[in-house]
Amino acid sequence: MIRREFLYYGKKLLVFAASILVLSIVVFYVARLAPGDPLVSYYSDRVEKMSPEERAWAEEKLGLSDPIHVQYVRWLSGALHGDFGISFKYKADVLEVIRGRLVNTLLLGGTGVILIFGLALLLGILCAWFEDRWLDRIICKAGTIISCIPEFWLSLVAILIFAVWLRVLPSSGAYSAGKSHDIADRIIHLILPMSIVVVEHLWYYAYMIRNKILEEVRADYVLLAKSKGMSRRKIMFRHCLRNVMPSYLSIMAISVPHILGGTYIVETVFSYPGIGALSYESARYQDYHLLMLLCILTGAVVILCNLLAQVINERIDPRIRANEAAEMLEVKQIG
Amino acid sequence: MDDQGFACAGIRPLSHGPAPQKQRWYRGKPIVSILLLAGIILGCLFCNAFIPKDPTYMDLFHYDEAPGREFLFGTDAMGRDIFSIVWYGGRLSLLIGFSATAISTAIAVVFGAVSGLAPRWLDAVLMRLTEILLSVPNLLIIILIQAILGKPNVLSISFAIGITSWTGIAKIVRTEVRQMRSSEYVLAARCMGGGFFHILWRHLMPNFISSIMFMVVMNVRNAIAAESTLSFMGIGLPWEVISWGSMLSLSEKALLSGSWWMILIPGLFLVVTLLCVTNIGNWLRKQTNCRQSNL
Amino acid sequence: MSETILDVQHLTHQFRLTKHTTIRAVDDVSFQLQRGEIFGLVGESGSGKSTVARCIMNLYRPAGGRIFYRGVNVCDPKQYRMHKNMLQTTRQMIFQDSTSSLNQRMTVADIIMEPMAINHIAPPGGSLRAEAERQLHDVGMDASYLNKYPPELSGGMRQRVAIARALSMEPDFIVADEPIASLDVSIQAQIINLFKHLQAEHGFTFLFIAHDLAVVKYLCDRVGVMCHGKLVEIAPAAELFAHPAHPYTKLLLSAVPIPDPRLERARVLQTFDPSDLQDTGEMREICRDHFARMPVEGVPH
Repeated sequence: MIRREFLYYGKKLLVFAASILVLSIVVFYVARLAPGDPLVSYYSDRVEKMSPEERAWAEEKLGLSDPIHVQYVRWLSGALHGDFGISFKYKADVLEVIRGRLVNTLLLGGTGVILIFGLALLLGILCAWFEDRWLDRIICKAGTIISCIPEFWLSLVAILIFAVWLRVLPSSGAYSAGKSHDIADRIIHLILPMSIVVVEHLWYYAYMIRNKILEEVRADYVLLAKSKGMSRRKIMFRHCLRNVMPSYLSIMAISVPHILGGTYIVETVFSYPGIGALSYESARYQDYHLLMLLCILTGAVVILCNLLAQVINERIDPRIRANEAAEMLEVKQIG
Repeated sequence: MDDQGFACAGIRPLSHGPAPQKQRWYRGKPIVSILLLAGIILGCLFCNAFIPKDPTYMDLFHYDEAPGREFLFGTDAMGRDIFSIVWYGGRLSLLIGFSATAISTAIAVVFGAVSGLAPRWLDAVLMRLTEILLSVPNLLIIILIQAILGKPNVLSISFAIGITSWTGIAKIVRTEVRQMRSSEYVLAARCMGGGFFHILWRHLMPNFISSIMFMVVMNVRNAIAAESTLSFMGIGLPWEVISWGSMLSLSEKALLSGSWWMILIPGLFLVVTLLCVTNIGNWLRKQTNCRQSNL
Repeated sequence: MSETILDVQHLTHQFRLTKHTTIRAVDDVSFQLQRGEIFGLVGESGSGKSTVARCIMNLYRPAGGRIFYRGVNVCDPKQYRMHKNMLQTTRQMIFQDSTSSLNQRMTVADIIMEPMAINHIAPPGGSLRAEAERQLHDVGMDASYLNKYPPELSGGMRQRVAIARALSMEPDFIVADEPIASLDVSIQAQIINLFKHLQAEHGFTFLFIAHDLAVVKYLCDRVGVMCHGKLVEIAPAAELFAHPAHPYTKLLLSAVPIPDPRLERARVLQTFDPSDLQDTGEMREICRDHFARMPVEGVPH
């Protein structure tokens, strides 16, 4: 039995490693084959004045003169030892460059995911409880409208209202100048971006929970429980919710990347120093090593979440298969 | 059977309540959304007939003006009349929405059908590939594609958006095709010597089209939203090429000067369009659901 | 009646269920079809009749054995590709379930025209539609059905449409995989008579698969009996029904209900132990044209 468990998780781990490997190869090749001059991000304007010899020397120094597969093998062996190379633009170890920003993104995205998860559950239950009453209807209508609004425009309007007109909240950044350790200041800066992330995604999951519960409520076992004299609240929380949870968990796991993608856009609008803005920058200016690390980080999170969803489905709730859960997700907006 | 007979059989005769209300043809249909969307599409198509100003003309004396009598919706930071460019720019936004959807649907249908008809191992490999593709943030893929395609234009943007948004439809097509592939009419067509594309076009497509219709409509919405997001972030259309997204890319300046009309007006057009498309999509989804349950 | 049109030699096919278990659906089946005859293949469900048909039509690739159609080995990919056009135009198949073998979203006209359209055949009747109408008329339906969709038709009509589709290519050889199993008894009789009539008119060779012995007795010239993937007996229809040799055939025949209640009550069900099949029997000629798979040392009862 233990052996089988071991094999099961070993297989998942193998899939994870293989996916990451394929992902790294694809990103590496695509990035190198895309036109653009990586020297520009290292030497900025000086590149234009370089003589061919100087260029050759610079490429040699940055390790860009070898064929791509040699570069890839070099990168891979470095990466396996924890050395992901240096960022051309910041001229520092990419891990150093990312560290501070990773915390910021995790703060925004991670808290966002938890908030969305909890609030969606609450809202979904509320809607299902008051099915087809005015509260349910209002929440549903408002949700449809909000989920149609592109994230960036919602951010713009929020800035316009709260930062420009009311002047109650800061419009950009993660902290005021010189106050990077002031927690209260950080929280104030987080309010706007966080609410955008939450509001934008909240609705979709709340609606899903609502529909799942409504499906569940119509099952026969609810009638049975009712005839035994169980209270409405008990049936809802003891039975219905418990049956809904596994599929909700797996869908949440699959949709983490969507929420992450959403944070990238919000980060850009609010000039919030996180990973989103960084990856956008690194892709545009051929900062290869930085791009690789960021892609692999996000890719790892996404693939991990997918596998997690599979495990949840196969282990906790064998009723639904993994791909079914994936199909329940509609194609979401870009991110 | 008379009433007594019904009573014997334990059947209550139907009580004659108030007469059912006359069914109106538009009941349950998203009429408001359809009308609004039609208005926006027609307005954009025939905008030359009624817009007062040349949309590309930059009036250097009247930049950043609030809505007023001369400039109905005000002017932007470049001195262009927003009322004119909002209609004019809608063309490109809608065009990109539709062409990106066409591209993504075509890829999705072919990919899904191949994966659905393929042997199990190939199917597993293809599905794993889509998962890997999904794991890279769309934004990065789009930036890379843009870098390869060079200076962004309508075609390259549509292509970039299309190529990043086909996986959802492909998954549905695959499941449907998997269910249909062993049905006898597909076997019959293979017996007759029908090739892959014949079977796809004549037999599979008509059967799964209703189940992906909703996704396709949603893809139009997502593509329009994606174009505006990209243009806003400066990876899409440049500000000289007018679309709703590129109009909004000037909003940073607008925020500094507090000119709300530059943000709110194009955005409202955008949101209303997206909302209408969503409503129509939701209606379609309900339609297909009804039909399936009636079978 | 002498030309062999189809020659199946030692056909074997298996389905893989999991990594370790396979099911041998067809096991060493051999038989020949002469031009213009109606050959019936009977056996209970799951005995591998449909698999034989699908192997013959190249829908499955057999695991072993050879199938010659007009001297072409259809199991060999190279020969198949070389004669692809001939194979597709002269062989046609009719399926069991007309609800699923006709695409619900195509009109009757489209369905009948489809094989001609695929193979780019110019119909003798002028337009494709006129030809479809003629074919439909031949199976006893008039032109008003051309624009209907399959769900609007009854089961018998759908099967007629399927037959018209097969006949539209003027094939030499038709495989019908339990074409009447999903129909009502009265409709079954109509369709059987239609088959008999059409076969007499067009003269095609007909492989008819069924589990209903009475129908086979009425329609077929020769009959093969299958059991658990093996062909246990082949004989001319009259001979088989008069003198069944193999115990399984006897069982099948004894299971046929007799329309006379007195005789029916007296009927005794024969017994047959499927494990008898496991020992290596071989086909032996009992009398002229009558073959049965018998244990090597056994003697016919």
